Amino acid sequence: MAASRGGWRSGRRNLGAGAARFLVIGLFVIFVLAPLYWVVITSIKPSSDYLTVPPVWFPAQPTIVHYTAALFSYRGLQGLLNSLIVASASTVLSAAMGTMMAYSLARFNTGGQHLAFWVLSQRFLPPVAIVLPLFLLFRGWGLYDTHFGLIVAYTFMTLPLSVWMMYAYFRQLPKSLEEAALVDGLSRWQAFRMVAVPLAAPGIAATAVFVFIAVWTEFFFALILTSRYAFTLPTVFRAFLGFQGAQYGEACALATTSLVPSIILGILVQRHLVRGLTLGALRG
Amino acid sequence: MSAWAERHFKWLMVAPAVALILALSIYPLLFSLWVNFVNYDFQIPGHAFVGLQNFAEVVNDPLWWSSLLVTVGLSLTVVTIEFILGLALALAMVEMFRGRGIVMSILIIPLFISPVIVGQSWALFLQRPFGPADYLLSQLLGRAVTISWVGEVPWVYFAIVIADVWQWTPFMFVILLAGLAAIPPHLYEAAELDGVSHLQTFRYVTLPQLAPIILLAITFRLLDSVKLFDIIFMLTGGGPGTATYTTSFYLYQIGFQQFHLSIATAGSWLFLILLAVVIMVVVRRLLRAEAA
Repeated sequence: MAASRGGWRSGRRNLGAGAARFLVIGLFVIFVLAPLYWVVITSIKPSSDYLTVPPVWFPAQPTIVHYTAALFSYRGLQGLLNSLIVASASTVLSAAMGTMMAYSLARFNTGGQHLAFWVLSQRFLPPVAIVLPLFLLFRGWGLYDTHFGLIVAYTFMTLPLSVWMMYAYFRQLPKSLEEAALVDGLSRWQAFRMVAVPLAAPGIAATAVFVFIAVWTEFFFALILTSRYAFTLPTVFRAFLGFQGAQYGEACALATTSLVPSIILGILVQRHLVRGLTLGALRG
Repeated sequence: MSAWAERHFKWLMVAPAVALILALSIYPLLFSLWVNFVNYDFQIPGHAFVGLQNFAEVVNDPLWWSSLLVTVGLSLTVVTIEFILGLALALAMVEMFRGRGIVMSILIIPLFISPVIVGQSWALFLQRPFGPADYLLSQLLGRAVTISWVGEVPWVYFAIVIADVWQWTPFMFVILLAGLAAIPPHLYEAAELDGVSHLQTFRYVTLPQLAPIILLAITFRLLDSVKLFDIIFMLTGGGPGTATYTTSFYLYQIGFQQFHLSIATAGSWLFLILLAVVIMVVVRRLLRAEAA
């Protein structure tokens, strides 16, 4: 139990330090929740409650009209469906390609450290440097504003994450079972597919969730590489820029629709969060 | 066939990912290297060779330099604040208490939200005069406060910093918490036996033990914060005027609002080169940490 540790941590016995601790935590919890509360509550406010002093903290007559308006009048539904399609497909592709590559790196040290380094360095490229030429090339290749184009772009974008998370995962798994499988006459592919992948399944699942969230919340690639057809949910928010015409309710309804699934997914995999945030460099 | 596949198994396994990176990153970067030196503009037809003119357009634009300054200033500010808040939170959260699991789940929520929504939420929260921020400040200070959070310097910088700090402090917090939890307890026991004060324990045990992880967290955040775009796009639109143009936003404006694509490409190469040096060092360091 961490509570039994000594040093400055025993400051918890000290009333002042204990109060300071809970003040820090309490203030930050409020800071995190305040804008979220405001967004969710605005999404169910009737329009007459937007512009009031003092603000309406809870509407007397909650409504869902903004949800239907956001989904149908602002093409939110199409954005939602596009996001689902694009995020699901790139998650499957990225996790599959990433797992394969990570396995090869972890078990055979393929390409030495250089190959792993090269993949990781992609993670830190400024998106604008990639997206500018991609935009020009995609127009020539017929991939501009298509689901397929965006799926391919997101698969690439999330590869460093999948490769490095799974790389760290495979290095923790013992080789002995795969070696036994090879002795039993399985091919290397079969050993990977029938022994290593099932063992790594929890890691693959966590990796896939992080990839899905990364794609679900991504804006810049979608802004540049799509237009009227394959646009994703985050790009729909452009319609509310500057809030002209006071579409607060619609904007917040759409925001709520987008943030609820990714928050739930994120909390489900929070055990793996440190690994996800540092691409496997830290275990957490 | 299958013997061949067996022999080249390790290369076949990396082939799909490597092919994709070659096609979507290396080839486009090489292509853009060519774009750097030609005219590629939706307003001027043809791709005539123009030498270094695209680069000259960038470095002769005062807005390019001011955008770099804004980017560096904002990055250093947000990362510093996020580090301090994240460390304070991690220190506060490292011990068990009732309800810690729920608090933990709340604290990490911002990491799973699209930055576009973060920008929009704060735009709404800080909106004048009907957003809750001005009202709460008025109540707190006992006098009417109406701050134009996204329309006036310097408040607009506060607004951006608040939104970014809101989204990314949890990143620092989560990583530093993992680092704190990994410090061997016997070090604290030894310090306690020696009668070292809490402050000294923090200074001579906690900080040195945490140093590599602090470095990792800060470099990760710095490299991401210099790409700042989405929050700017939704919250300020670069305004008022061009006061909050970050480099990414500037290049977006040049490339996709004015359609001077080759000029924007030249600018993004300059940006890339500035970052590349830092990236090399950081990635090598991470790799060493992983190998250790």
